[in-house]
Amino acid sequence: MSESSLGTPFAARARGALKDVYLQEALGIATTKFIGLRRESFEDFPQGDALRDRARAIKEATLQQLDRHLERLADNIERLGGHVHWAATGAEARDIILRLCRDKGVRMAVKSKSMATEEIELNEALEHAGVKPVETDLGEYIIQLAHEKPSHIIAPAIHKTKGQVADLFSKELGGHFEADPEVLTKVARVELRQKFLEADLGITGANFAVAETGTVVLVTNEGNGRMVTSLPRIHVAVMGMEKVIPSMTDLMVFLAILARSATGQKLSSYTTLVRGPRQPGEMEGPEEFHLILMDNGRTRQIAGTLREALYCLRCGACLNVCPVYRQIGGHAYGHTYPGPIGILLTAMLKGDASVKELAHASSLCGACKDVCPVRIDIPRMLVELRERLDTEKIAPWTERLLFGMARQMMMRPSWFRLGASVARLAQKPFARNGRLRALPLFFGKWTATRDLPAVAEKTFSERWRELGRP
Amino acid sequence: MTTRAAFLEDIRREMARTRGLFEASTSPRPAAPQEAAEVVRRQMLERWPQALERFREEFERVAGVFHRAPSLEAVPALIGEIARERQAKRILSWSPEALGVDLGARLGGEGFVVTSAHDVDPAEGERARHREEAAAAEIGVTGADWALGETGTLILVSGRGRPRSTSLLPATHVAVFGAPQLLESLEQVGIMLEALHADPSATMSGAVINFITGPSRTADIELTLTRGVHGPKDIHAVFVEAR
Repeated sequence: MSESSLGTPFAARARGALKDVYLQEALGIATTKFIGLRRESFEDFPQGDALRDRARAIKEATLQQLDRHLERLADNIERLGGHVHWAATGAEARDIILRLCRDKGVRMAVKSKSMATEEIELNEALEHAGVKPVETDLGEYIIQLAHEKPSHIIAPAIHKTKGQVADLFSKELGGHFEADPEVLTKVARVELRQKFLEADLGITGANFAVAETGTVVLVTNEGNGRMVTSLPRIHVAVMGMEKVIPSMTDLMVFLAILARSATGQKLSSYTTLVRGPRQPGEMEGPEEFHLILMDNGRTRQIAGTLREALYCLRCGACLNVCPVYRQIGGHAYGHTYPGPIGILLTAMLKGDASVKELAHASSLCGACKDVCPVRIDIPRMLVELRERLDTEKIAPWTERLLFGMARQMMMRPSWFRLGASVARLAQKPFARNGRLRALPLFFGKWTATRDLPAVAEKTFSERWRELGRP
Repeated sequence: MTTRAAFLEDIRREMARTRGLFEASTSPRPAAPQEAAEVVRRQMLERWPQALERFREEFERVAGVFHRAPSLEAVPALIGEIARERQAKRILSWSPEALGVDLGARLGGEGFVVTSAHDVDPAEGERARHREEAAAAEIGVTGADWALGETGTLILVSGRGRPRSTSLLPATHVAVFGAPQLLESLEQVGIMLEALHADPSATMSGAVINFITGPSRTADIELTLTRGVHGPKDIHAVFVEAR
């Protein structure tokens, strides 16, 4: 997301989202629906749990030999006549694409949905260079026309009503369109079909890349991934280097759980396996194929505390179940990747300081870990992240002081007893029916949105002693 | 510009600093993929009827329309019927060799415009012409290399005489297959793909494999399921009983 939206603090962005009546309703409906679809699809799939363990093991094992798998992938793609680029940073990945556009005279690029290109803010860079980027996933197309950003990893436009989409299409495409998803989808089909046929360049991400065969794998429902990799004369795939997997056998394990986790489908409508450029006997397909392998902060987590986040398949399941995401939606997070995993990915890409507020946007309930197809321990990493914010002195000094004091107190029984007695006295004017509903000074931040249970008349150990127990 | 060597060097340096989170291995791959594929084929000689029943069930669940044809002979008439129902005239097809039947010879006389791919490398200018024909076609007819029961999925390998867009650009896609193409599980697909890639220059003349599970779909506007957003709105599977 552009830096401008980060001008407002997280709390203010979240408040805005909470006041947005339509967003609240849309989020509730969408996330509840996705949760139900996912649950149903795993219910009649008894091997699901074992496959998730397998998938997790494959991701870990691949990371343990990441260099070899990447070399194998690159060698295979080059053998097929494709080009492999190595981008240490997002800026470098952008430059590679811009240079290619310049060299090949590209004027328009069609894109299928890709979080990696969102991550490097490619569209802005292309526009700046005079290349027209056209998003072709319906949801992405809508938000591109509206000059907005995706609010969900797999359903980018869930925050918009059909009425808003109809108005947007009418204004941007000329005409008057009914607020009917069927009609609007047809409008987009006609509009984008022309773009597919005209574009010089197709840009995709990659859900996986199979090292042993040099295959880039794209999973879509609309078929735009197929269009983008079949019609333009050049295809560029941008992927985070951690997306590599060893073999076709491994790929099947991931395919069995990815769509189930994301949308509750057994498989998405289209799984497209692309091996380099068009072969001589083929009627269509790009003359040129480029794969950009991107680091952009990932390597330093191989031995880092966020290693497990490198397993992520970008299915979006953890967003749907997160009580925070369900309330505030994707935009309030303010970065490319929203939701619980998004906090960790943002820390990975932009450093711990970029999530000093977001690190606390979690109740640590663990629902994300439960639904993750590769069982990423997101809560553990969030706790560790919070700890680092403290030890690295990134958190505000007031917060560190307060928690430091609490720590000292909890380590000393006598201080704790004293603290409890003081609190018992101090809370007198504020406690009603065992609850504190409004507190003065900065304590009021807590009670502004929820009650605080009052400190009990007697501590547990006091009552224990009164019972005459040892 | 980061070089391959520098990029990998960074990775190796970090890899050396950790032993990983836990002991883990990737999936065991078939040691002799061709033989493993042969074992699957033999298993399916017995089990294809169950796989077909499951395929039909799953394919219909994703809004596919399932047909049976007694023989390849009967396929053109069936496709003619599907086209007439849709008032479609323009039919695009894989090459007669790849499909197993020459639609042009049979339907050309009935008022349909049939464009079939062929099995020689495209000549200069032919690709542009094919694209126009593909973009204008209303029905696309392909074979299927595998039909997967577990998920109702058609798997198509592109190549000579088997253009990628035949199953993509027309609003209706019809795939024709028989018992030898039936598989039960994704695991079996994995074995077949391992075998296919054991010597790809001998087995694959194209660069793309598509798993197709139902029509093109989206739920991007208010989660309302809508079909045919970019690819086909309509998908048919024709099972040929005897071939």
